Amino acid sequence: MSTVLVFLEAKSGEPTRISLEALAAGAKLASATGAVLAAAMVGTANGTGFSALGAASAIYALDHPLLAHYTADGYTAACVQLISRLQPEFVLFPHTYEVRDFAPRLATRLGRVLISDVTGFQADAGRVTFTRQLFQGKLNGQYRAASPAPCLISVQAGAFRADAPTATSVAIETFVPELDASAIRTAPSEPFRAAAQTVDLSSAPLIVSVGRGIKDEANIALIKDLADALGAELAASRPICDAGWLPMERQVGSSGQTVAPRLYLAVGISGAIQHLVGMKGSQCVVAINKDENAPIFEIADYGIVGDLFEVVPALTAAVRKAKG
Amino acid sequence: MKIIVAIKQVPERDVRIRIDGAGRWIALDDVEFRMNESDAYALEEALLLREAHGGEVIVLSAGPERVGQTIREALAKGADRGIHIVSDTLADYDALGLARLMAAAIRNEAADLILTGLQSDDLGLGQTGVILAELMGIPHSSLILKIEKADTGLKVLRELEDGWFQHIEMPTPALLTIQSGNTKLRYATLMGIKKAKTKELRAVPADSLGVAPTPVVLLDSLALPSRQKTTQILSGTPAEAAAALVEKLQQEVRVL
Amino acid sequence: MLLAVPPNSTGFASCIASVVLPGLVPAEPLYFSLDEKLLLASLIAAAGWLFWRRFGTVLKRILSARKDADFRLFPLSRRFWDFFREVLCQTKVIRERPLPGLAHALVFWSFLAFVLVTANHIATGFGFGFLDSSGFFSHFYFLFAALFAVACAVSIAGLFVRRFIVRPVWLAHKDHTVSWESGIIAGLIFLLMVTYLGAFFVSDQSMAARLLWWAHTLTLLSFLPLVPHTKHLHLILSPATVFLSRGGFSRIPPLANDDDFGMVTGRDVTQLTALQVYSCVECGRCTEHCPAANTGKELNPREIILGLRGYLNEYGPASEEPLLGRYNSQQAAFQCTTCGSCEFQCPVGIEHLPVIVGLRRGAVNTGEWDDDHGGKLFLALERNGNALGMGQSERDKFVAREELPVFDGSQEYCLWLGCMGGYDPKGREIIRSFVAVMRYLGASYGVLRKEKCTGDPARRLGNDLVFQQLAESNLETFAQNKVKKIVSICPHCVRTIAEDWKAYGTPPEIEHHSEFLARYQSRLPKNGENSTDSTGKTVFHDPCYLGRYRNVYEEPRSVIRANGTLIEAERSHERSFCCGAGGGLAFLGEEQGARVSETRVQQLVATGAATIGAACPFCNTMFRDALASRGDGAPQLLDIAQIAAAALPRSTPESHDAPLA
Ligand SMILES: Cc1cc2nc3c(=O)[nH]c(=O)nc-3n(C[C@H](O)[C@H](O)[C@H](O)COP(=O)(O)OP(=O)(O)OC[C@H]3O[C@@H](n4cnc5c(N)ncnc54)[C@H](O)[C@@H]3O)c2cc1C
Ligand SMILES: Cc1cc2nc3c(=O)[nH]c(=O)nc-3n(C[C@H](O)[C@H](O)[C@H](O)COP(=O)(O)OP(=O)(O)OC[C@H]3O[C@@H](n4cnc5c(N)ncnc54)[C@H](O)[C@@H]3O)c2cc1C
Ligand code: SF4
Ligand code: SF4
Repeated sequence: MSTVLVFLEAKSGEPTRISLEALAAGAKLASATGAVLAAAMVGTANGTGFSALGAASAIYALDHPLLAHYTADGYTAACVQLISRLQPEFVLFPHTYEVRDFAPRLATRLGRVLISDVTGFQADAGRVTFTRQLFQGKLNGQYRAASPAPCLISVQAGAFRADAPTATSVAIETFVPELDASAIRTAPSEPFRAAAQTVDLSSAPLIVSVGRGIKDEANIALIKDLADALGAELAASRPICDAGWLPMERQVGSSGQTVAPRLYLAVGISGAIQHLVGMKGSQCVVAINKDENAPIFEIADYGIVGDLFEVVPALTAAVRKAKG
Repeated sequence: MKIIVAIKQVPERDVRIRIDGAGRWIALDDVEFRMNESDAYALEEALLLREAHGGEVIVLSAGPERVGQTIREALAKGADRGIHIVSDTLADYDALGLARLMAAAIRNEAADLILTGLQSDDLGLGQTGVILAELMGIPHSSLILKIEKADTGLKVLRELEDGWFQHIEMPTPALLTIQSGNTKLRYATLMGIKKAKTKELRAVPADSLGVAPTPVVLLDSLALPSRQKTTQILSGTPAEAAAALVEKLQQEVRVL
Repeated sequence: MLLAVPPNSTGFASCIASVVLPGLVPAEPLYFSLDEKLLLASLIAAAGWLFWRRFGTVLKRILSARKDADFRLFPLSRRFWDFFREVLCQTKVIRERPLPGLAHALVFWSFLAFVLVTANHIATGFGFGFLDSSGFFSHFYFLFAALFAVACAVSIAGLFVRRFIVRPVWLAHKDHTVSWESGIIAGLIFLLMVTYLGAFFVSDQSMAARLLWWAHTLTLLSFLPLVPHTKHLHLILSPATVFLSRGGFSRIPPLANDDDFGMVTGRDVTQLTALQVYSCVECGRCTEHCPAANTGKELNPREIILGLRGYLNEYGPASEEPLLGRYNSQQAAFQCTTCGSCEFQCPVGIEHLPVIVGLRRGAVNTGEWDDDHGGKLFLALERNGNALGMGQSERDKFVAREELPVFDGSQEYCLWLGCMGGYDPKGREIIRSFVAVMRYLGASYGVLRKEKCTGDPARRLGNDLVFQQLAESNLETFAQNKVKKIVSICPHCVRTIAEDWKAYGTPPEIEHHSEFLARYQSRLPKNGENSTDSTGKTVFHDPCYLGRYRNVYEEPRSVIRANGTLIEAERSHERSFCCGAGGGLAFLGEEQGARVSETRVQQLVATGAATIGAACPFCNTMFRDALASRGDGAPQLLDIAQIAAAALPRSTPESHDAPLA
């Protein structure tokens, strides 16, 4: 019987959400191709994280001191060994920064090419094709392997819905790869966060931005609350910075910063061209404005037409509730 | 330091996508081509390193005749010479095949550092650099924001998820894939273009490199996504609209 | 004895007597001793030598500068006409500062009138006086000159008072001093006139006549060497400057060869530029009108010119020293909105924009200019083909949503959207309104499927590479689509296509929508016919690129007059004050000092208008922003297309009547 092997990524011993999504994708693929699902994760077999991988019928704990810190060389070598032992038909990864870093090397070592950032698959008559986006999502392509197994795939975040974790019933097997410290050529140091006091809007993933609709300096606190609830950076249109209500470095637009966050929430901003050019690269734009004809709505993905003094507190409360 | 920068020429970012007659690729008539965005940053990093430490910047690009224009653009921005792997049939190769072509073309250069972009704007596999590193037998790191010379080789800054970063040290020769947006790009100048005319641009026919196009993955078919981006207005009382938005942020935007 | 008493002198008494009764001709000594003649000759030689020592150097500097590759002497008619208007009639001098201008013109005309008098005066000293004091012509001419002399003396005294007592700010130098030598020069001119006039009141034989003659001569001979040492050099140079000017307005010369990147070092200063630089009279008209200088920026157009003069004085035109350095700053060069006020105002025909844009070219074409916002702009133009860095698909969506017909060669007009019309929400409103009018008129028009920026910001910021790429690419699109006539809502697009693209091909005919609207004004409903809202008291802001650059002043006003009451701002027409957007500045970062847009809006609001009429999408965006910060009660801001469209019947039929002829 063939195998679908899913490599999961752990944070403090627990599988990450996107890893569980990859596991769910693996489960789907296994059932579509009549394969068994195996899961592998770096860690010690008695770690709590492994017990949540109930969907898999075989679970491997990749355990080696040289895997304690991620390195492409270490992870590649370990995975190659597990794959050569299991001979899986498909190998799935969550499409994370780590996977992007080592999986192509792994695939090359196996003479394969990783089909990366997959959003879905179709299986008919034994032939499986994978969908991935081209041209930043403006085109979908169907990919398939033209070589014998294994076929390596990484799964886009959110493309598959993670099942509620179920407890395992199988024994967790420890797999100790043979690793040689001298074959690990890179020396990573401790991860760190960018210093908090310097505002770097250009790399902020979430931004709440406020415009003249806020009316008064005292009301900025309202927006600050929302930003805090979301864990977002606070930004503004030029009039707010002109007035000195927020510092210049938080100004977004043609004479300020250019930003490209995953979420740009514009509150009381009309959407003048000089503002738009600074945030048009945002992945998702949400606008709250009382004027339904405000140009900001033209480029927004979601809009709420209403008084910000009513909408923003409600939104802050809803975000807090959702975050628990 | 001898630095090779791999640069892909891609359709301009905002190209009007139409699938060609055969359904294999997009129609390329009326398409303008540009330097891939993250490759432009790779080039900038290379130029900065050369300005700081001396050496040479060599541009490498594979593709048909028109790719020469992008190489010249890179020369105009300051690269010292170019290598053009000439092929009209790159679609027959996959990323591994392409990387093999590139490896064959630069093997004799003995570069200290190879830089590629993180990902191409068209096919966007985001792998060619890493594959090349494996083929060349050299260490690599991806998603790099900053490169410094260190005693042992290089010290680089790598972007991690959710606002985290990490320093990594490694020996040279090495390969790095460069993330967009961390440096300021230089604009092309008239003087640069004029100087570029005198720089060496070597054309290497792909056939001469002894790499057979035997793809291990195939792009079978293409389709335009059905859903176009439109604005969704969330209505109801403030509380209802807020709740609806939070749901969208959780389910669709996935930022909560 | 030096001052020989003439043989037939009747002494002091007659001298007094003749003072009382003015003669018809100025008295002149009847006899000069040999000593006097020798003295005169040596004084002339000394003055001539002193004059030439300086003037020769200046002339050599000018002549040894690089030749203007694109200079064409012909056709001469324009040159003579400019010379007649600006030199002989002193139109610019008078028009912009009527009183001091007239005073200056009188001084100038007096100088002309004195050519003959002075020649005769000196000739007399050698015994060759040719104006026979009893002849009718001489009587007439001496009196004619005397009239000018009176006018000149009064004028120069007035100018002196103004410069040294009233002291307008724009006359001040960088270090807030006024030049002392202009005081001396004024004194000398005054003395010249007085000594001439004085001679009418004495008799030929009198000692006074001899004293006056010598006083006049000495004044003249002190004046001569001072001329090339002071700004009064313009007396000699500016007629040539005006005659030889490049012509046109803000004409940016083509790059001469492969090694020409604009004005980088002294070697890039051309003869015309050098000539102009040495002609500057330091009158400060340019600075008085400059929006940058008036809002606290470092830029001061007079200092740009004088800076270049300082450079040439110190290093000369063969120097490799960068031009942007000690004498001119890069920051100042990049604060110019290219509004053209300076060039328009300059009474001696100095062309500031070729200099300012030339300095920018030198900095940009070599990559010296390193500016975050500027770099972003150039990259947006390189990569996206528009100044805003927007995706072409955004324009496609707009075209589709508005159901704008695509130009296919069969329509009469190609409607050029431009960056603002294609991407800016407010610019799109202008397009929408203009299209409504075109539809109403049944005009046949279409928009291009693909359009790139005209390259205006690149051109003005001195990026020849991007500008050339954009111009060539667009010209090709026009040729492919067989475009013959273009209409555009943007004066910058109009100017750049019509004039600047000529460097790379033959652009189709293009007009601004105000010209189109004015032409069909009679076929459009007037306000009130179909709607009740009136634009009321409307002040029109002349966009620099429509007014000074294209000489279009009346057309947009006719649209406003048809729909409201036109009022004028204090600065209007040729003297209009910039909105702050031109020269690529709309895309650069924050301004130093006050914002130009806010200064202009202040001027417009001060008229008490209910509506501000605009005719440029850039002015529009600048004013919108500045008006918003004034809060409620600010006048409304409308483009003339919006004003015209507001008068259309509410439900516009597809086409109102027969297509346009
Ligand atoms: C050269 C130049 C450079 C510029 N650079 C920048 C720049 O870098 N960044 C920038 O942002 N701007 C810039 N601007 C200014 C820009 O043109 C606009 O003026 C500015 O962006 C407008 O800011 P705003 O949207 O906050 O204000 P407004 O345009 O006044 O919009 C306020 C909005 O709030 C809404 N609103 C009001 N009350 C409420 C309420 N109670 N609830 C909900 N909504 C409400 C209104 O409907 C309106 O849409 C620049 C302008 C120029 C000329
Ligand atoms: C239908 C079809 C069309 C194809 N068209 C092309 C094509 O137009 N051009 C092409 O090269 N291959 C083409 N290929 C071949 C091949 O599949 C891709 O080049 C390969 O997968 C590279 O992947 P990528 O573009 O996703 O690059 P990524 O892996 O995303 O690229 C990462 C980096 O690798 C470097 N790089 C990638 N390609 C090149 C290159 N050609 N020259 C120099 N550096 C490069 C760049 O630095 C780039 O930033 C095509 C394949 C198919 C099936
Ligand atoms: S063009 Fe306008 S802004 Fe520039 S220097 Fe002249 S007057 Fe000043
Ligand atoms: S440049 Fe012209 S306007 Fe300016 S000070 Fe000199 S002469 Fe006057």
